[in-house]
Amino acid sequence: MKTNPLKLALVACLTAAAILSTQSSSAQSASKGKIAVVVSTLNNPWFVVLGEAAKARAIELGYDATIFDSQNDTAKEAANFENIIASGYKAIVFNPTDANSSIANVRKAKDSGIPVFCIDREINSTNVAVAQMLSDNYSGCVKLGQYFVKQVGVNGKYAELLGIVGDNNTWNRSKGFHSVVDNYPGLKMVAQQSAEFDRAKALEVMESIFQANPDLNAVFCGNDAMAMGAYQALVAAGKERQVKVFGFDGADDVVKLIAEGKIVATGMQFPKLMARTAAEYADEYIQGKRDFQQKIPVKVDLVTKDNVSKYGDYGKK
Amino acid sequence: MWRAFAITALIGTVGGLCWLFPLFHVVLLNRALGEKSARVFDAAQFADDFWSEKLLKSIDRAAPVEKLLAAIQNDPVAAKTNYARCLGMGDSYIYFLRGSGTILSISGDEISVGVSENATNTEIVLETGLIFGNTLRDGTGLLSPSDYPDSQDFNDIAAALNKIAMTRVLPKLRAQVKIGAGISFTGCAEVDDESSDLHPLHIVPIQAEVQ
Repeated sequence: MKTNPLKLALVACLTAAAILSTQSSSAQSASKGKIAVVVSTLNNPWFVVLGEAAKARAIELGYDATIFDSQNDTAKEAANFENIIASGYKAIVFNPTDANSSIANVRKAKDSGIPVFCIDREINSTNVAVAQMLSDNYSGCVKLGQYFVKQVGVNGKYAELLGIVGDNNTWNRSKGFHSVVDNYPGLKMVAQQSAEFDRAKALEVMESIFQANPDLNAVFCGNDAMAMGAYQALVAAGKERQVKVFGFDGADDVVKLIAEGKIVATGMQFPKLMARTAAEYADEYIQGKRDFQQKIPVKVDLVTKDNVSKYGDYGKK
Repeated sequence: MWRAFAITALIGTVGGLCWLFPLFHVVLLNRALGEKSARVFDAAQFADDFWSEKLLKSIDRAAPVEKLLAAIQNDPVAAKTNYARCLGMGDSYIYFLRGSGTILSISGDEISVGVSENATNTEIVLETGLIFGNTLRDGTGLLSPSDYPDSQDFNDIAAALNKIAMTRVLPKLRAQVKIGAGISFTGCAEVDDESSDLHPLHIVPIQAEVQ
């Protein structure tokens, strides 16, 4: 019997497709359920990395995962939780919008039997979330403050760009930095203003601060998005060599500028580590584990020109 | 007649409801401010109580320095497992230790101490300058971040404990210190980078006595 090679190839392709299709549907049917990843904002690359890392780890662990964007809006966040609770999710990996307002959402999820694992930003409660993985912002900014004094010296004028005023991270960073810098009376803070963790706002704020203080020596920014905005404003004014810029986060663009000697230092948080661990904790909870430490600080590394080669891609290489 | 009755009944009902479920409470301003300030966490007071009631009473729990240094020399990983306290996720850790030795040198904000018999090399360093960070708060394991809903309170404790060490422990130590004198100490040493922080350990003193 003669066999047509074309027909054979066609049959082989169809068989392979059928097998793949069967495997795919069995993989779908083998899903362990749905995990929601609620992120405060996707308008900042750092939070995109945080959300995507949690989602990717949840999928690796066998879950279907969806990211919800709260757009830095507590009402939007509440609506996301309503949706999640009504849609049969098994766990929530949560980056809160507000330390106080977000408690009610976590409590609602808990009351509906859905465990919540906070990442990066805390809620001011220790009995509603299962666990909270939080960067040690305070000691990270103590290290930044010490390096700031080394680089700027004990005399000079500096400005501080704060994050969102109602956010705990804003003040933990600011207090850590000031716990060091305020010991040096020759270092004068000439402006302290919020740019709400936002790059575009930081650009505007830095422009006005610099106009009022043209002899500025340094600026400490509560996150890297603001450090990028401040740096951009200084470049536009032709003063990027005069004013030393310090950030916090470990965002890729800032790490690259540190390597180029344009930004002085940042504090490397580990968003991927926090997000992956939270997804793993969610899985462990679903499997039956219950004894979790409530608040788990995650160490922050100081990144400078001396060690920048060790860092990148939102973590240690 | 009926109209007057209806109005009276309505006023009575509304009045009754307001009495049972008041829309607002009138509170004296000084009482309200007192309640507000009562809710504010007093880190300085907490640290003061903690220092005298718990920290100083926990000194027996600190690792003997000779034993710890021998363990680090022998196997740093095992020493970390057996003696260190790690808080959360990360590669830094803290030793809570105590011991005595001889002051070998004094420079700037550091006192170099030899702890083994007839030591001539610096084996530990006591920090006597500005103290920053969480070493004292986290080194003993007596305080946990999980007990503080707002991490700002927990961080304020770190700053308050550092202040107590800087105002109560270090001035006396700086005044008494002299080369060749014996010294006993208890404190915490953070290891962030093992290549530099283990040899010698840099100790933030909780207690120090020059003999």
